[in-house]
Amino acid sequence: MPTIQIDGKEYEVEQGRTVLQAIDDLGLLMNGVEIPHYCWHPKLSIDGSCRLCQVEIEGVSKLQIACNTLVRDGMEIRTTTEAVRDAREGVMELLLVNHPLDCPICDQAGECKLQDYAFEYGAKHARTREPRRPAKKAIELGPTIVFDQERCILCRRCVRFCREVPRTGELGVFSRGEESRLEVFPGMKLDNPYSMNVADICPVGALTTKDFRFKVRVWFLDDVPSVCNGCSKGCNVWGSRSNNRLYRYLPRRNDAVNQTWICDTGRLSYKQFSEGRLSLPRIRGRETGYTEALAAAVRILSEAREAGAAVVGVASPFAANEDLFALRGLLSDLAAPDAVYTVPRGDSDDLLIQAEKAPNAAGARELGMRESAEGPGKAAVAIVLGHGFGPEAFEEVDALILIDTHESPLLQAAEVAVPSRSFAEKLGTFTNSARRVQRFQPMLEPRFEAWSEGEIVWRIGAGLGLDRFRSAYDPAAISRQIAEEFPAFAGISLESLDDAGRELG
Amino acid sequence: MIEAPATTSYLSEHYADEAYATLSGYEAKGGYQGLEKALGMEPAAIREAVKSSGLRGRGGAGFVAGVKWGFMPEQSDAMKLIVCNGDESEPGSFKDRLIMERGPHQVLEGILIGAWAMGAERTYIYVRGEYALSADRLERAIQELRDKGKLGRDCSGKSGFSHDIIVHRGAGAYICGEETGLLESLEGKKGQPRSKPPFPAQYGAFGLPTTVNNVETFAHVPFILDRGVDWFRGFGTEKSPGTTLFGVSGHVERPGLFEKPLGTPLGELIELAGGVRGGRALKGVGPGGLSMPILPSSDLDVGMDEESLSARGSHLGTGGIMVMDETTCMVRVACVISYFFREESCGQCTQCREGTGWLHKLSRRIEGGRGQPGDLEVLGRLPKMMEAQTICAFSDAAAWPIQGLLRHFRDDFESHLPEKSCPFGEGFEL
Amino acid sequence: MRAETRERIEKLFDRYPEKRGALLPALYLAQAERGFVDREAAREVAELFDLAPVEVMEVLTFYNMFHTEPQGRHHVYVCTSLPCSLRGSRTLLRELGEHLGVGPGETTADGRISLDREECLGSCGTAPVLRVDGRYCENLDLDSARRIVDELE
Ligand SMILES: Cc1cc2nc3c(=O)[nH]c(=O)nc-3n(C[C@H](O)[C@H](O)[C@H](O)COP(=O)(O)O)c2cc1C
Ligand code: SF4
Ligand code: SF4
Ligand code: SF4
Ligand code: FES
Repeated sequence: MPTIQIDGKEYEVEQGRTVLQAIDDLGLLMNGVEIPHYCWHPKLSIDGSCRLCQVEIEGVSKLQIACNTLVRDGMEIRTTTEAVRDAREGVMELLLVNHPLDCPICDQAGECKLQDYAFEYGAKHARTREPRRPAKKAIELGPTIVFDQERCILCRRCVRFCREVPRTGELGVFSRGEESRLEVFPGMKLDNPYSMNVADICPVGALTTKDFRFKVRVWFLDDVPSVCNGCSKGCNVWGSRSNNRLYRYLPRRNDAVNQTWICDTGRLSYKQFSEGRLSLPRIRGRETGYTEALAAAVRILSEAREAGAAVVGVASPFAANEDLFALRGLLSDLAAPDAVYTVPRGDSDDLLIQAEKAPNAAGARELGMRESAEGPGKAAVAIVLGHGFGPEAFEEVDALILIDTHESPLLQAAEVAVPSRSFAEKLGTFTNSARRVQRFQPMLEPRFEAWSEGEIVWRIGAGLGLDRFRSAYDPAAISRQIAEEFPAFAGISLESLDDAGRELG
Repeated sequence: MIEAPATTSYLSEHYADEAYATLSGYEAKGGYQGLEKALGMEPAAIREAVKSSGLRGRGGAGFVAGVKWGFMPEQSDAMKLIVCNGDESEPGSFKDRLIMERGPHQVLEGILIGAWAMGAERTYIYVRGEYALSADRLERAIQELRDKGKLGRDCSGKSGFSHDIIVHRGAGAYICGEETGLLESLEGKKGQPRSKPPFPAQYGAFGLPTTVNNVETFAHVPFILDRGVDWFRGFGTEKSPGTTLFGVSGHVERPGLFEKPLGTPLGELIELAGGVRGGRALKGVGPGGLSMPILPSSDLDVGMDEESLSARGSHLGTGGIMVMDETTCMVRVACVISYFFREESCGQCTQCREGTGWLHKLSRRIEGGRGQPGDLEVLGRLPKMMEAQTICAFSDAAAWPIQGLLRHFRDDFESHLPEKSCPFGEGFEL
Repeated sequence: MRAETRERIEKLFDRYPEKRGALLPALYLAQAERGFVDREAAREVAELFDLAPVEVMEVLTFYNMFHTEPQGRHHVYVCTSLPCSLRGSRTLLRELGEHLGVGPGETTADGRISLDREECLGSCGTAPVLRVDGRYCENLDLDSARRIVDELE
């Protein structure tokens, strides 16, 4: 492994990496080593055209771009010299020649790299007196993305993204020189399942999503690390929230899962938490209080237990491992068979999108639950975590206790229905299709009384006087129990996981 | 067809004879004897001869051709390529056109010698799109060679030597003269130069090992093989041997091409072109095509070779001498030059894309009498921001002439400032 | 695009180690049909080369000699680089424009002539120069230039 020096400090880096890649590998990029850059992106091919990332290398007369210069053993790199600073100032001054300086009305303000670097490197000289080149404003490139040409700095990240990631190649740079401009083929659209990623990688405010454009100023938002529940990939996301409301998802880099991307469906799934929620408990369709509903559930189950009638459980691939484990405990105490579940399926591709349209099907499998197409079969009582089977699966069930986040056709069939928290409102783990356990934490407070599925099950168990539910509900403790009982989960718990997750053993 | 040069030496000796552009006419004047000698030599010995001849690339950068030929991998599973650069688009430069139109077989013979020396199986000659006649003449010459079995498998009477030559036409973009822009263009892409390394010898056109040389560079090679290294070194200077076809254009009595040894004094070449037109006084000269810094009239004694010119703060480039007399407004010259670079930048690098546009707008504004205090400071600073930092040397080429103008003709700029109109009424119109 | 053009394009492929090398010559052939390459033709070429249409459009718009819009029956280009400018080519361009009633980049109302400026044509020793439908006309003055233009059908 070559050893390089960056501003006098030595580091071991991997052979065959460029300077910028090596610094990124070390986790130091813009996090100890400041090398501003526009065209380089860790998950795209190297372009080397913005020329902002220039550094000084001992023994080399001209400045070199860090993004496309291979490391060599003994290489001495300097990032803070006057020549480097001058070069950065030069690039910034030139980029601002044709860029409107109207940050206050630009939607990117607050997370714009042009604004950031201009503040750092661009203030020295007065602005040019020449008129800016004419440019088109707010062009719809497709169903999801709007393009402000005057803000584009031609870093070609979006072009490379479309060619290299979804491989749909909708974008191109037409003409040349000062007249270069980003375009789609006339009459065609930027339209692919990953299109909105271009807005994330655009370093300036040239590409924005129609969904988020001008909705809220980013400085009012704070970002919570989470996981998308749109399919079994479990892409890592940031949920941007303000006033107990989510405004968007952004991809959160995880090289073992989703690199730096998410699909458009997943991205827009942040809306699920505010739409169509089951907000009030019901007994036979009549709205009631939480205590009453739970008491009714306990009563139904204890009657069944006394009568020796069959109880069955239905799990959900949308529930967390901790929820499923609690359900598993209750079912075993009630001598019920293993829970069944069903997974909605849809399109998939070889990039991220998985056919299983639920975040935790693998978790249900690992925890010994059984996938079934038909449902639980004949029984006196069914305890059901919603989001799966339709009413027809319960035709042979006398009483249905439904625990669900959203309203659904099952509601009519339910004896008792208890609203639960969506995963955005709780703490837990999902196991993705590659058997990676990933943690999520509350992004929102529930706007009505609701507990997690696990906690609801827990309280029913406690109401039934079952031993295992005597202590207070604690997902962290449950995750430790999972690790004890299931060897694949050994060493994995809510406390031991970090934001990158871990693969099952 | 372009006119034959006014003064000739070995390269252009027979250019006035139209038959020289055909195989029989070329052979009648001793053509293809260099190739015959080369095919009797070991490839390494040819490379050595070309290297010791000191022949330097005539495409503008002046790299020693024999050294470049040595960069090609000796052993290679992949096909090796030669690319002959006939994209000549440098304002002030029109020599390659002459060679392709009047001496196409010189180029082909030089290529075949290079092919044997480097083990290359195929050559693409990239001819700029506008040079229709050049392309026709080369195509015709290639067909003559094919008909005579001098191209193809086991060609030119040498078993184990296979070579084919394909003419590829550009489509109007100066930057395709830059060798990696050319390679991209040859691959059917936008002619946007590549970052180097890797160099063409490792990763050239279509990823194959490739050597790129200028049309004129190849044209000298047969003479070196035929007449010998010492003979060749009898022309020009120690570091820059041989002749070249100097183009003299602009404000002279008889513009045209002049074959003269490298190192010939600038003033002598201007005299050969009849001197400054109408007996006017000289104001400035661009000695090496548009990309090189313009010199003041006091530099007429400079030798036209890279060493002498760089000592005066300019470069030989392609040897295209542009003469400007006393009526010339150097601010207008700045406008014309910066417009060229604004038009021809490929647009990848920030400094070049934005800098060329800015230089042009700024020059135009000053020229139009709308200059303001501080403009000259920007005009001085801007080229520095564009220099030595980009993917290819185009950005430097855009910066240098402006720097030269400001260094030697600052008065012209000052006299436009502030808010004054151009004092050169009778100069050329913009 | 005509079937014949497609065939001629396909014949170019093996002149290059990868068929994309044939893109520029192919676009010349496509352009020869109507003097410009419209969207549909660009799409067809893209298909022949297994490229995204936008990549073909990138190439078409990068090079000066390709056109994506209808052109006049004849092209008249005036070189306005420095050596020609020094010999009056910009005056020539202006006067030719006045003569034809169009500016650079425009086509006469009758669709006869598209006039434009060009950068250095390699004719600095024989300046000023016109490039008329691909042919060089050198050593011109206003009269000779006007005569050449007037003779175009
Ligand atoms: C902006 C730019 C334009 C160039 N244009 C040409 C050209 O038109 N013809 C040419 O032979 N070389 C041109 N060159 C030089 C080539 O990159 C390359 O050095 C040359 O073709 C190598 O051949 P040589 O060593 O025989 O000169 C240009 C270089 C630059 C930076
Ligand atoms: S739109 Fe954004 S990402 Fe695309 S080239 Fe322009 S600045 Fe770069
Ligand atoms: S691929 Fe799946 S997990 Fe990833 S963002 Fe899309 S829906 Fe969400
Ligand atoms: S310097 Fe100019 S011409 Fe050369 S690669 Fe960069 S932008 Fe293109
Ligand atoms: S980040 Fe290195 S050149 Fe753009």
